[in-house]
Amino acid sequence: MEIAGIFKYLFERLEATGLGQPWVDLISLVAAAVIVFGFLSVVALFLVWLERKVSAHYQQRLGPMRTGWHGWLQTIADAVKLLQKEDIIPSTADRPVYFWAPIIAFVAAFAVYVVMPFGDGLIVSDLNIGILFILAITTFTIISLLMAGWGSNNKYALMGGMRSAAQVVSYEVPMVISVLAVIVFAGSLSMVDIVESQAKIYQWYIFRVPFGPIAFIMYIIAATAETNRTPFDLPEAEQELIAGFNIEYSGMKFAMFFLAEFVNMFTVSAIGATIFLGGWQGPWLPSWVWFLVKTMALVFVFMAFRWTYPRLRVDHLMEFAWKYLIPLGFANLILAGLMKSSGWFNW
Amino acid sequence: MNRDELIKYLTDKFQDKLELLETGAVEPFFLLKDKSFLVELCRSIRDDSRLHIDFLCNIAAVDTCERFEVVYNVASVKKKIRFDFKLIMEYDGAEIDSVQEIWPGANWHEREIWELYGIDIKNHDNLTRFMLPDDWDQGHPMRKNWDAPDFKRMPEV
Amino acid sequence: MSKGLRTEEFTINMGPVHPSTHGVCRFLLTMDGEVVVKAEPVIGYLHRALEKICENRTYAQCIPVMDRFEYCTSMSCNMVLALAVEKMAKIEVPERAEYLRVIMLELNRIASHLIWFGTTALDLGAITPFLYGFREREDILDLFEMTCGQRLTYNYIRIGGVAKDIPPEFTPKLKKFLDIIDGKIDDYEKVLTYNPIFITRNKDIGILTPEMALGYGVSGPALRASGVKFDLRRDDPYSIYDRFKFNIPIGQNGDCYDRYQVRMQEMRESAEIVRQALAQLPEGDIMGRVSRAFKAPACEIYSRIENSRGEMGVYVQSDGKSKKPLRLKMRGGSYNQLQVMPELIKGLKVADVVAVMASLDIIMPEVDR
Repeated sequence: MEIAGIFKYLFERLEATGLGQPWVDLISLVAAAVIVFGFLSVVALFLVWLERKVSAHYQQRLGPMRTGWHGWLQTIADAVKLLQKEDIIPSTADRPVYFWAPIIAFVAAFAVYVVMPFGDGLIVSDLNIGILFILAITTFTIISLLMAGWGSNNKYALMGGMRSAAQVVSYEVPMVISVLAVIVFAGSLSMVDIVESQAKIYQWYIFRVPFGPIAFIMYIIAATAETNRTPFDLPEAEQELIAGFNIEYSGMKFAMFFLAEFVNMFTVSAIGATIFLGGWQGPWLPSWVWFLVKTMALVFVFMAFRWTYPRLRVDHLMEFAWKYLIPLGFANLILAGLMKSSGWFNW
Repeated sequence: MNRDELIKYLTDKFQDKLELLETGAVEPFFLLKDKSFLVELCRSIRDDSRLHIDFLCNIAAVDTCERFEVVYNVASVKKKIRFDFKLIMEYDGAEIDSVQEIWPGANWHEREIWELYGIDIKNHDNLTRFMLPDDWDQGHPMRKNWDAPDFKRMPEV
Repeated sequence: MSKGLRTEEFTINMGPVHPSTHGVCRFLLTMDGEVVVKAEPVIGYLHRALEKICENRTYAQCIPVMDRFEYCTSMSCNMVLALAVEKMAKIEVPERAEYLRVIMLELNRIASHLIWFGTTALDLGAITPFLYGFREREDILDLFEMTCGQRLTYNYIRIGGVAKDIPPEFTPKLKKFLDIIDGKIDDYEKVLTYNPIFITRNKDIGILTPEMALGYGVSGPALRASGVKFDLRRDDPYSIYDRFKFNIPIGQNGDCYDRYQVRMQEMRESAEIVRQALAQLPEGDIMGRVSRAFKAPACEIYSRIENSRGEMGVYVQSDGKSKKPLRLKMRGGSYNQLQVMPELIKGLKVADVVAVMASLDIIMPEVDR
């Protein structure tokens, strides 16, 4: 059942009302934004519940069971609780910086979905610099982490903010390089073009040995570091810095950071699925179902990492990025370039 | 070396400074008669090649109702020797030398004795508040004559 | 020449309420960036004046007070006082009671090491092994609850014997536990021991040389990991430990990784001792002849046992006139290990402070009493 058809039908009905071009554009864009935002909010809530259940089953216990069938209402209960909490602002905090940090984190998390292909024809706007736009917007998160660390006026938060800035900046480079290896092959920065160049399963970039799997593994590692998940979750290392940069946040502001982290995890999984695993391509099932299946597989991989591995120390992390991942990434990129120019993968 | 050999060795080495006490314990228990000899004694038992006492187990201060006693329990890990010795002193002007230069672990034991009993420790580098709150001003709690309004003594059984 | 950037040291307080200081321990860390320059532990947050309380109680009433001295290994605390009093008053303990004491002590050692395992993994960021360790510990606590009714502070090993005999369900449940424990320890090793992240966090961190360890009075697994083969069960045998065959694991470097491996191996050796004790368990009484109006003769004694954190000792002085001890000084292993910690963490980073404290297995009730 293709939803693209429904949207096409609704768009034609809107045009037929004869409102005039600027109004039609405005209404359709606002409607698209609302639909995407609604979908992502549901996804964020679902992911919180899923994380709790997955972690519980890894740890031989059951997780939330009482609020609804197997606890599916738990996140809604938590959201209601966070909404009605008092908003505490430390008296010595830097108020504008403290206030805008969670908002920027939230906006940066959601703004990426303008160019995310949810299925065949289900994309808000197919920019021809799609992947570049995504990599640029995801970098905004650093600003919000630094603002949170500084604005809280707390030594632990400052240390968490500094660590996170160092970490995210270091791991941007391997992420971009691994994506570049794929772009060299696809020949275009547009997300739809990248997906369409993987029409058959043997054409998926993860299977294009040898540069594909290396790029995929580098991307997964860099993505874990970008979203501050274990084993790279020093900025929020609970056991050392007691929640790092979000120590002083409570109530709705904390909820924004928390939801932004889960939406970021969904984002990097979606990008990974689009670039390496063939996006919405697949037989029999509708395209958006394939997209969701592939993204959730990667989300599950990230969750498995979190509940298995201990945490890296900050200097090991930087050493790993700069001394190992980046040289490997560049070598991989040169290899991809050589293979493309020699016509190796022309099927 | 077994118990008798150890007693003979120590009494020969330190002649009139150590006196053997009959306490009913398995390990020999000595009384150090000369307080100023403490650091010398500890250094020589640590450096002696037959004793090699490198492990200080415990320093305890005791308030028998007439006087203070400070008890040292020492051991040798290599030679598997254990013995104890103690010093006695009056309540007024009670002070001992610190042995932290010989066994660094004595530092905290002595700090605790200073705080809870009020025995002065010479040559200690950090005599500050330890277990009691920073604003404690009610004396030295472990002494037998210490009292506080909420301290209840249990009846004799 | 360019002017250097002006840097300043700042003091950070790893406060009494912190997820990784095991109990309420406070560190004042003077830091230069991420590197610790000086560390000063501030203790006394859990000071309950147990020694003063014991001066006011008869010997039998002191046994439950000793439970609280180190509540993770309550059986050892009971045992050390019972040993002291039995030596003073020359009380005979029956055979069955001795074997039951050994079984309970070694099971308590395994339970304490499981807590250590869970909290070490938790402090380094791997949250799942914590749940696994506590799952096995539940079996041990069920066994204890069956016998003496308590899960944490047991009051079981009394002066002259043990309090209650084991019920009939105890032996089959213990046998089932002993069958699975080796496999479970292998599972734990699979998760952590060869994990590169775990190894990088622990190897060559917090190296404790044998001279430093002995000078500061460190004992137990921390001393054995530095290469000194000293175990009170072998070198200074108490109770009936000379009847059992077991190995003593030692390490080479004295870093956090060696301390981890020594403790994992010790869990296996403890299980082996329990198997041997269970096979040799005789019938008989469980309590020797102790009079109700028990008065110890005038003597002083320092008795010690090998606890899971080192040498646990108690110095008892009795004046022969009253039924209460004149002085009861408790000595715990964590006291000395916390004393040596500031020396070990000079020059390390904040993340390593947590790793070192977890590997030394310090718990605060032993330090503060």
